[in-house]
Amino acid sequence: MKPQNGSISSKDLIFSVFCFMQATILRSGYIISMTRNDSWIMAVTGFIFSLPIVAIYAALLRKFPGKNLIEIDEIIFGPVLGKVVSVLYLFFFLSLAALNSWDLGIFVVNFMIPDTPISAVILISLIGCVYSIRKGIENLIYLSTFIFIVAVGSMAINTILVLKDVQLEYLKPFFRLEPMKYIQGTVSVTAVPMAEVLAFTMITPMLEKDQKAGKPLLIGLVLSAASMAIVMLRDIITLGPLVSIVTLPEFEAVRYISLAEPLTRMESIYAVVLIVLLLFKVTILLYAFALGFTHMLSREKQSLPNHHITSTSSGAGQPLSQKSYPPLTLVSAALVFFYSLFVFESVMENMDWGATAAPFFSLTFAFLLPAVSLLVASLRKIDRIREVKV
Amino acid sequence: MKRKKSPICMKVLPLTAFSFKYWKGARRITMFLLFMLMILCLTACWSQRELYKLAIVVGTALDVGDQPDTVKLTAQVVKASEMGVGSSFRGGGSGGKAYVNISRTDKSVLSLIREITHMQNRRMYFSHNKVIIFSSDLAKLDMAEGLDVFARDYEARLNVYILISRDEASEILEQEVELEKVPALNIFGMMENQNLNSETAIVTLRDFMIATLSGSTAPVAPIIELQESEGKSEVTLEGTAVFKQEKMIGKLDEAQTRGMLWVTNKARSGELIVDTQWGQVTLEFFHAKSRLKPVKTEDGTIRMKLTINEDGIIESNETTEDMSRIENVKMLKELMKLAIQSDIEDALEQARTLRADVFGFGEAIRRDYPEEWETMKEDWDHVFPKIELDIQVDVELRSTGGLTRPVVPGGAQ
Repeated sequence: MKPQNGSISSKDLIFSVFCFMQATILRSGYIISMTRNDSWIMAVTGFIFSLPIVAIYAALLRKFPGKNLIEIDEIIFGPVLGKVVSVLYLFFFLSLAALNSWDLGIFVVNFMIPDTPISAVILISLIGCVYSIRKGIENLIYLSTFIFIVAVGSMAINTILVLKDVQLEYLKPFFRLEPMKYIQGTVSVTAVPMAEVLAFTMITPMLEKDQKAGKPLLIGLVLSAASMAIVMLRDIITLGPLVSIVTLPEFEAVRYISLAEPLTRMESIYAVVLIVLLLFKVTILLYAFALGFTHMLSREKQSLPNHHITSTSSGAGQPLSQKSYPPLTLVSAALVFFYSLFVFESVMENMDWGATAAPFFSLTFAFLLPAVSLLVASLRKIDRIREVKV
Repeated sequence: MKRKKSPICMKVLPLTAFSFKYWKGARRITMFLLFMLMILCLTACWSQRELYKLAIVVGTALDVGDQPDTVKLTAQVVKASEMGVGSSFRGGGSGGKAYVNISRTDKSVLSLIREITHMQNRRMYFSHNKVIIFSSDLAKLDMAEGLDVFARDYEARLNVYILISRDEASEILEQEVELEKVPALNIFGMMENQNLNSETAIVTLRDFMIATLSGSTAPVAPIIELQESEGKSEVTLEGTAVFKQEKMIGKLDEAQTRGMLWVTNKARSGELIVDTQWGQVTLEFFHAKSRLKPVKTEDGTIRMKLTINEDGIIESNETTEDMSRIENVKMLKELMKLAIQSDIEDALEQARTLRADVFGFGEAIRRDYPEEWETMKEDWDHVFPKIELDIQVDVELRSTGGLTRPVVPGGAQ
């Protein structure tokens, strides 16, 4: 049953994409505060707008099979410019990892253990992430099936139990907000979380042979969009107008569950699932960063570990030996840790960032850079044959 | 990832063996330290709360303070040691009360909660708070602060019941009852039972806030009061308080409350007493469902259309007439319809007088006719009393209960 030689199946990739997205979906208050009772539509439009982005990733990965994002851009842009672009990507992964670590920390601290310093929570979480990367990222991705079942199960249970207290009328009136709001909402959903799927382009080379990466990424996104729509619908019909003023609509909606005496306090399930999902997400982002970081600092342009794990390594100057994890994982985790400590001062800052700057930040790295890469690749007519020569 | 020991290496190169051993030891120490760190951090000792250091609040009362601009908070805390003993209120154990009421007056609710630490060794814990009672004096001044604190704090929950007391709210929490050890839990139990009579608005903090946020809907909350009967005073739910702009502006009586519940689809079951030409018959209704819908008439005005469906049975027949006869069933159905309609009209009348949209007409119009709503919303206080309500009641009388004919002398012949 153990995945062989670091290869992952496309099914595992689908579930990992879902789990990765679900971590943000369960905290989608920043979209609901913008588009209120029409937010669930944003899941659909946001998904549609993320299609071209995924198509770009798929095209890049198809052009350079077996290569990850950092390798691809060094092939496209050459050694110097390639490094610059790589640094940008790495900054993006690092920022996302830090932002999500902070999200995890602030959730645990605010809702559960208010006196604990956030740094303690983030540190312990990151140690867990490093541990799971050192044990092999493919094992974590393999586990995503299990996490998927738990996440979907908890969502289903919480949704069913709250049905007693819902009012469908809260969905009306449809589309009465200013058009700008819908554009803002759609862009937000496209940028955060949909476009964050970019991190998976660091992992797709680990796919089993002859597996195309585009399809599993797309299916993962479809599942995520569906789940996002369901979660938002549930929150809106449970909380009504309250949905746009509470800090964490998902948490409040689930808190309202009270079915007879024993079936109450269901938010603990939500909290556990959210923490697991955020850990999963941070691990993937940390891995993407550490892998790219290691690659960038390595002297020889050799294939990175996971997808050639069985190949014999050569030479002492080869930092990427037979280890199945990037050597700089611990250093990367330390970077994420310190970055996450000063990334936001408060929840208010986080909300402001989510509503204003985050989409632009995210789309610059997750849409603009890959789009330019693809353009340059097609203009320079770089394909598989030339890539060997480089 | 088991490391294989190399015996040759151990023999030939003692230094290597030493470093290998050393490495192994270091690894163990690292693991040990890591576990220690996790034990320290993951048990959340920073935020530890021991059960014996918590004062578990089950009911809260808010009154107007004796100083200007102050609030008086009364928190009912359970005494766990007295909870499990005996069946009567003072029975068993040390024979003490199973609760303590802690009161304090200050400028804001949160500072009050912190103030209480000046006089108690335990920390107030609001997660199990079941009811919040506002005195009507406070409700007439301002509800905003109490609502905000209880909704904002992560400890409190949105499904706590909101009640308005006619007199001092703290007195309600002092009123002891025979069957329950803690007054607040008695009130909580009463609220849970109110579906059976459909004469009390069951309002949680969430419902109240949703109505407040709407802008057009007037929030409501049940009124609780102390009533004297046979020399004893008892807490009773009686009618509904109506709010506007977070202030209490009036009330609905029991019949009007039921009328409002019919319109808002919150009446579930209850009993109706109808007078026939032979005497009084009690009917029980259940499976009640109502649907409120705005309709646009040809002249462009908006009317509300209310459709009610409900099932009923004959609960008691105090006449000598056989009510199972089809023509009598028909008559009873008509009377039932009339009773429901009169409750609703009564409630509508009162709401129009108060200019308070307790039914959520405004929200219904906003949802179905958003454009028309734009023209109405500014002047809603004046438009609302003019909105007409068409009532359609569909009643099914399903059975006569365990008896078909009444027990009358000589009825067997």
